[in-house]
Amino acid sequence: MRDKLYPFSAIVGQDALKLALTLCAVNPAAGGVLIRGEKGTAKSTAVRALARLLPRVHSVAGCPYNCNPDRKDEICPRCAATLIRGNTVFRKRPVVTLPLNATEDRVAGGLDFDTAVRSGVRALQPGVLAKAHRGILYVDEVNLLDDHIVDLVLGAAGSGENRVEREGLSVSHASRFMLVGTMNPEEGELRPQFLDRFGLCVEVVSEKEPGVRAEIMRRRELFDLNPGEFGARYEKTDNKQALAIQSAAALLSHVVLDDSLRRMISEMCAEKNCAGHRAELVIAEAARALAALSGRTEVFASDVETVAPMALLHRTRTMAPPPPEPEPEHDHEHDHDHEHPEEKNKDTPPEEENQAENTPPPQGEREQKQKQEQEQEQEQDAAAPEDPEERQEKKPKSVTEKIFEVGETFKVRRIQSPKDRVFRRGPGRRSRTRVAQKQGRYVSARPRKKSGDIALDATLRAAAPYQPGRKAREGGGLAVILRKEDLQERIRERKTGNFLLFVVDASGSMGARGRMIASKGAVMSLLLDAYQKRDKVAMVSFRKDGAEVNLPPTSSVELAARLLAEMPVGGKTPLSAGLVKCAEMLRNMLVKDPAARPIVLFVTDGRANQGLNGERPVPEAMELASRLALDQRVTYIVVDTESRGLVSFGLAQGLAARLGARYFKIEDLKADNLVEITREARQ
Amino acid sequence: MKKNTVYPFAAIVGQEKMKLALVLNVINPTLSGVLIRGEKGTGKSTAVRALADILPEIEVIPDCPFELAPDGEEEAWAECVEALSGLPPQAPRGAPVSRKVRVVELPVGATEDRVAGALDLEHALRHGQKRVEPGLLAAAHRGILYVDEVNLLDDHIVDVLLDSAAMGVNTIEREGVSFSHPARFTLVGTMNPEEGELRPQLLDRFGLCVHVEGIRTVEDRVLIMRRRAAFDENPVAFAKDFEAESRELAGRVTAAKALYPRVSVPDTLYAEIARFCLEVGVDGHRADIIILKTAKTLAAYNGKTEAGSAEIEAAAELALPHRARRAPLQDVVTDIKTARGRKA
Repeated sequence: MRDKLYPFSAIVGQDALKLALTLCAVNPAAGGVLIRGEKGTAKSTAVRALARLLPRVHSVAGCPYNCNPDRKDEICPRCAATLIRGNTVFRKRPVVTLPLNATEDRVAGGLDFDTAVRSGVRALQPGVLAKAHRGILYVDEVNLLDDHIVDLVLGAAGSGENRVEREGLSVSHASRFMLVGTMNPEEGELRPQFLDRFGLCVEVVSEKEPGVRAEIMRRRELFDLNPGEFGARYEKTDNKQALAIQSAAALLSHVVLDDSLRRMISEMCAEKNCAGHRAELVIAEAARALAALSGRTEVFASDVETVAPMALLHRTRTMAPPPPEPEPEHDHEHDHDHEHPEEKNKDTPPEEENQAENTPPPQGEREQKQKQEQEQEQEQDAAAPEDPEERQEKKPKSVTEKIFEVGETFKVRRIQSPKDRVFRRGPGRRSRTRVAQKQGRYVSARPRKKSGDIALDATLRAAAPYQPGRKAREGGGLAVILRKEDLQERIRERKTGNFLLFVVDASGSMGARGRMIASKGAVMSLLLDAYQKRDKVAMVSFRKDGAEVNLPPTSSVELAARLLAEMPVGGKTPLSAGLVKCAEMLRNMLVKDPAARPIVLFVTDGRANQGLNGERPVPEAMELASRLALDQRVTYIVVDTESRGLVSFGLAQGLAARLGARYFKIEDLKADNLVEITREARQ
Repeated sequence: MKKNTVYPFAAIVGQEKMKLALVLNVINPTLSGVLIRGEKGTGKSTAVRALADILPEIEVIPDCPFELAPDGEEEAWAECVEALSGLPPQAPRGAPVSRKVRVVELPVGATEDRVAGALDLEHALRHGQKRVEPGLLAAAHRGILYVDEVNLLDDHIVDVLLDSAAMGVNTIEREGVSFSHPARFTLVGTMNPEEGELRPQLLDRFGLCVHVEGIRTVEDRVLIMRRRAAFDENPVAFAKDFEAESRELAGRVTAAKALYPRVSVPDTLYAEIARFCLEVGVDGHRADIIILKTAKTLAAYNGKTEAGSAEIEAAAELALPHRARRAPLQDVVTDIKTARGRKA
């Protein structure tokens, strides 16, 4: 199988990627590589090809932990015994693949089944973390790795040691490895903590030059036709490269880094506002490796400059953004001489507002503008057909209807429903839940009821104490005598997708001052987030004289996105109708799946002006909201589209209070600053 | 196993593009599969199942559930034997046997352990021995892995597929089992886009993509009804009617397979493929490689030893629809020519 690998030196272009991998091969202290990029850019190919070029390390023959005989302090007990016989070999640094579906016992190590059954002794079967010691731990699509596996890897990466405390085992062994991962950012990002564990990060893109692309095609085709012959053709260059890495690794301990360069490095990191000191360390080590590769024992400034971008790419933080400007004033000026403010906004992207550097006008003038603006909005709302005849005809043209473009999208903060003890089915990545299927993290075991998901380790453990007695009584050739009552089943936990119901206000007041553009941007961002978390979505919008289901529950987030883009705006604000429709949908949903925990997002300014039965609109809506809040299974979120800084009606806030909802301004939904994501992730 | 008579491939009316994409994949398994998108009731599943009719034969090591090839996979074979029996191979293995390439169906509700393989629990408890129970990926090695309604596949199963499709190796690290075996398969999926889209990463793993829709001409629709009724009435007799055609197609596939290594592509056309991909805007280089291979396979299928512009044009239409770069959450491009025109 080894011969079927595409040779490293046959990879066309991708120099940064190849350099980063080579540096890590020379100096493991450079800390591994995260390869981010589009699909089909030789990410995985390069990593697997690297395996052949890795230098050899001194190790104990046959040790499952790949012990280093030169580090007597962290040697495993078995090796301590065999070492006396001088049983050491040189072997290649291992490349161990961690598959996405790996179970915890195989990653950290678990009960050795054979030994347990044959001799009744509890022994550790070393896991992937043991195998990867002093080598590379490679994870393809690393951003899809389950959280609990990430925790294990992080634990070992942090301490250089893997402690196993499970299934009655208590073992720890050295586990220092380089993490190499590939990911496609389309599928979601890494946890910041995990991201930082990768020493270097490279972004790969496809080649844009037709000639180079043609060469890639040619080589790939030759390789597929005859891998053996193709490999032989590049064997020489591959061997040369391997030799270069080997000698650079040998030279490494002699390479020194001048103090002035250290200062240069820390200035670089300070400038990029990096968290922690790992960036400095990684740059220093990578620069040493680069010097060693060039056959020098002294690091040049150019080495540092070459490697620094790779260490800083994923650690650069922008300063926390300043709070948004109170209210874009220049817009109001346009309002004065403009009949349709929203048309103006159509041409100016919403972010421009925040960049407005106009000094705020005196308070009096401001209030006046505010008042004018309110009036305008009311006019717009009033443009809804009051004439009953017209209403019956349902001519959509008769209302000032507009379709707004989708505003800027952003990364949204974490939204999830609280964890509980209910079992439920279905895939997804948002909230944690207990599951009754044979999938997900195996958290613990309990005596078997009816599930076929037997926890082998727990079963054996349960049976172990009775073995001598049963054997004496029953005999038989079996190593373990199991009784029905020994059987244990697994309790698993995994994230399920949520059901997200968007209730979007599409009334005329939303059309004013780019609110709808920003709202659509916010909803689109939430939809993108929903895609990454594999949620089901549905959408209800309310405007004119009623609410309608734009999108029944679906997993097709694409469909939701298209509908959102086409959603018209105009007319009155029948908030009550929206609430009623929302309640209907929730009821249907919860009847079908009583264990579901839907999340409802209201995107509105709360300015209800159309009641259901001629009631006063606002009190009616608030009353309905209180009733909706009674169902504890639903999590409500209100996204207030009213701009910050105005003399606000606070109606959306009131709605949120009645619903028991979390309340956000659109700006609050953004989670694009690293510090905030970290904080959210820790919670 | 009971052998049901399948609807003959040659008897499928219309849907030429879908049939072509499937046949090309049979000729050249490195095209890595087809995604068939379309409405319900357009013969998607029928066509895939009917493929069994025209599949060529391959040589395999006897009694090996991993479907390993007798040449070049001996090393893997030894590992597999050990994983299955707990003992290194002792007796020399039997002479290779040849049998038809298999179509292995992956049901949407399959569990991870059944797909990737897992610890054989029964054996473990009964004999106190650890043994691997091969999964569907093992069975699909060198064959076709067929997923109906692939867009409904559970996320973690998709991850398993992605993992092994990437490098043609399936690695099992679960429940005390640590084992890897070759798993190179042609991935064939059908889906109805109304039910949701595929994840981009998985989408890219399908070499080709075709859209199917119901046939619009009355005569053809009548023909479909007539054939279906005849088949339902007497499948065996119906299959017999098409036997000659099926055999001819199978022969053409075998001939094309033999011809493929000798098909050449003029140097200038490499650049044309690259330019095509750049104009449409694709991620990565997989599209280029697939177009090249598809064009060559197409030439071989037509009995030619050189692929020309026409083949490349046709190949691009099959390989690009799902790869043309789109804005987030936008629909998949249906017409590749307009996509190219728009960019150019």
